[in-house]
Formats: sequence, structure tokens, C-alpha cells
Amino acid sequence: MDAIGKHNKISALGVTKTFSGKRGEVIALKDLSLDVQEGEFLVIVGASGCGKTTLLNLMAGFDTPTDGQILLDGKPVTGITPECGMIFQQYALFPWKTVQDNVEFGLKMKRMPKAERKERAAKYIDIVSLKGFEKSYPHHLSGGMKQRVSIARSLANDPAVLLLDEPFAALDAMTRQVLQEQLVRIYEKHRKTIVFITHSIDEALLLSSRIVVMTARPGRIAQDIVNDLPHPRNADVQLSDRYIELKRTIWNSVQTEVLKSMEVETS
Amino acid sequence: MKKEDKGVSYLVVSVLSLLIFLFLWESLCRMGFIEPLFLPAPTKILARAVKMIENGQLIQHTLASTRRVMVGFMVSSLVAIPFGIFLGSSRFFMAVFDPLISLLRPLPSMSWIPLSLLWLGISETQKYSIVFMGSFAPSLLYIIEATKSIDPLLIRAARNLGASKLDVMREVILPGALPQIIAGLKVMLGIAWTCIISAELVAAREGLGFMIMNGKEYFQTDTVLLGMVMISITVMVIDIVFRKFERSLLPWTR
Repeated sequence: MDAIGKHNKISALGVTKTFSGKRGEVIALKDLSLDVQEGEFLVIVGASGCGKTTLLNLMAGFDTPTDGQILLDGKPVTGITPECGMIFQQYALFPWKTVQDNVEFGLKMKRMPKAERKERAAKYIDIVSLKGFEKSYPHHLSGGMKQRVSIARSLANDPAVLLLDEPFAALDAMTRQVLQEQLVRIYEKHRKTIVFITHSIDEALLLSSRIVVMTARPGRIAQDIVNDLPHPRNADVQLSDRYIELKRTIWNSVQTEVLKSMEVETS
Repeated sequence: MKKEDKGVSYLVVSVLSLLIFLFLWESLCRMGFIEPLFLPAPTKILARAVKMIENGQLIQHTLASTRRVMVGFMVSSLVAIPFGIFLGSSRFFMAVFDPLISLLRPLPSMSWIPLSLLWLGISETQKYSIVFMGSFAPSLLYIIEATKSIDPLLIRAARNLGASKLDVMREVILPGALPQIIAGLKVMLGIAWTCIISAELVAAREGLGFMIMNGKEYFQTDTVLLGMVMISITVMVIDIVFRKFERSLLPWTR
């Protein structure tokens, strides 16, 4: 048996993805290889259009690589798999279902008996502190609450990997901070493997155990950094020399990439 | 409070407008400006209504038409909803059925009357079939359109949570498209009424369409007008019932 943290949970193996658009072929990812270890909180940072969402979609099985493979526990991912629970920036809650029914959805699809699924959903609604809102419909909830429902819905389904695609980007700063803290607590308690996409370096530093910086189109890995900042990552940590050093390193490589992608767009 | 007051005063305006319209119509008839054979006075129509309620004919004709519309419309909706959702989520089967639907869609229900009489005779089934043929293809198109309006992200999310393609149709596409499906069916219900009236005008032994045609045969213009008024009233009542039903079907839109 591999020691915890040494087992590759999900990997990209020489993945290339091209899309054919109106103006010819676009190479979104080129020969990208990445191993995410079990229990790791990996944050991928990159400028917009660097293919980070494409990578996540490939991991969830929404799309298949043009070349290369995605491996989950060493086995290739060939279709959409509930093993990789996705959390979307736009929440993707079912508007006609109550909070309770939304959280129960994955369990219902597994044909779990009603009583059991109710109990399980209640547990996860409690974890994201939404007790008392079980019977509300999504349009009565704020953005932050909707994203918490979406997190509970994914967790209740007990996926092996949680994929988050800029989940807090549409939220205001205060709400975002609360949800970040909540996610860290959930991670510390459940030790799920997490792949999280963001374009905020601070968010990456606050959440991750490892940070990968992606290059602009075609997407490749520019930098792979272990985030050794101590927990909890409070205000003191955020003002520490190590934090600023890491932030500068990441910013330098992101900046180069942003400038490069601007040149591509203007040329 | 203020808003409600306004609503009430607008209602008063509407009622007054109706009364003035009826009063003008009545006076023009009484003063001899309008020949009663062409257009009888409202009071004449009312008198005819009273007579026909007493002998039970009015209820009989109204119920006959309503029953035909309801049966034909229900059968057409019950087939069109699952079939439309299926076609809306499968490009292949959409391609298979598209030519047939495109051929059927432009045909008015009237054009089916000769064939249906030939196949089914002057029977109740023939009436149902006219309503069905008139409303099925348009309903199907409404439902396919409604199916396509679903946010693909929701389908993705459902699949990611372990839903099969069939689960997606039942759990995501049907409820997601339901508000639009119901809006479409409301329009179709109106069309179903025009279908049945035309079918009854051509060949029937009862129903509001028959009553109108029969009234014309005997120069009872008041019966003709009464039949027309009854169609309006019945459609309005059904529309109100439908709206109540819609609210209880779509609790999340409240």
C-alpha cells in the first residue's frame, strides 16, 4: 500500500485538447501531465482562457482528450463519472427542487431508500449551515447560500474527488471569505481530494496544499508549488514573509502569462 | 392597498364598457336599425338561452363539445409530452421524425375531416381524432422547443451526480421545461376548440358547432349567436381552471 498522500488519485497523462472553431483549430491544452495525490487540495491558477476549465471538464468526463488520458485511481476516465463531483461557478441547482431535494438528488439517482437519503441530506445541509432552509427553493436563496447547497449536494454523493470551477468568483468578498473558511474546514474534516480552479492568487494561497500555475494558450504547467503555509491561514499568516514571497513568485509567472496572452490576442 | 383599489376601479370600467356595448346593441335593434334575422338583440339571445336551458339542450351541447375537446386534447398532450421530450433530447430521432412532423404541421385540422369521416364515420372517435390531429403536431413542436430551452449546465450537473439519460429526461428536462410546456398547451387548448367547432359544423348530432349550424338551417339567428357566446364563455371558464391547475403544478415559480 502507498502511504497517504503518495497515491495518485487523479492524473492527466500527456493530455492534449483541441477544439475546432470558426477560425480554425484552437489548442486548449498541449501535452499536459499532472498528478493529484490522494487527500491533496490542489489549486490551479491561471489567466482566463488558459484551459483550466477544459482540464476540469476532462477530469469530470464531460469531454474526452484529443490525445492522452485522464486516470482516476489508475483507470482511464471514459465518460461522465459521479466519482468526480463538480461544483460550478453558476451553482447549477435545480430550480424546481427544494434545498432538501437538491441535496438528495445524487442519492436518489443511486436509488437509495427515501428515509436513508433524507437522513444523509440532513447531515450535509447541517455541515454547510443551512439548517432551516430545507424546504426553500433556490430562487429564495442568496448566491452564497446557493453555492453552499451545491457543495452539500456534491458531498452527499460522496465523490472520490471534488472539482470546483471558480466556485466563489460570483460572490461578494465577505461571502467568499466565509465560504472559503467553510471549505477549508470541510477539507480538513473529510480529507477529500480537491481540484480547485481560480484566478485569485490569494484564494489559492489561502486554500491549497499545492498550487499549479498554468500557461496561456496552449495550456501547460508553468509552475508547481507546494504551499507550506501554516494553518489556520489567518491575518498573521497573510502578512508573513513566506506568504508574500509565495505570492510574488506566483504573480511573476502569472503576469508573464497574462502579458503573453494579451500579445497573442492583439497580434 | 392602493394597488387593489386601482384593480377594482379598472374592473368597474370593464363592466361599464360591457354594459354600454350591450345597451347600444339592444337599442339599435329595438329602434329597428338592425334586422333581427341578421343580428338579434341581446335580450332575444337571453330568452333563447333560458328556453334552451329549460329543455336541457344548451347544457347537452356545451358538455358534448367540452368533452370532445378535453378527451382529444388530453390524449394529444399525453402522447406529445413524452414524445416531445424524447425527440428534444435525441438528435438522431429528431432527424428521423422531422420530415413527418414538418409535413403534418401545416395541415389545418379541417383538412382531416373528410378522411376522418371516411375512416371513422360520424362518431365520437372521429371528433376526438380531429382534435388530436389539429393539436398534436403543434403541441409536439412547442414541447421540443421547451426541451431545448433547458440550461445544458443543469443536464451536466445531473449527469455528474449519477443521473442516467432517462433520469435526466424525467428529473431535469420534464420539470425544467414544464412552465413552457404549460404555456404552449394553453395556446393549444384554444386551437383544440376551433378544431372541434369546425368538426361539428361539418358533421355532428350534438355540440355547440352543431347547434350553431342547426340554428342557421332554421333561421334562428339567436341560437347561432347563443352558440357563439357559449363557446366564448366555456373557453374562458376552462382557462381559469387551467390557470389554477398551473399554479399547483409549478410551486417553485411562486
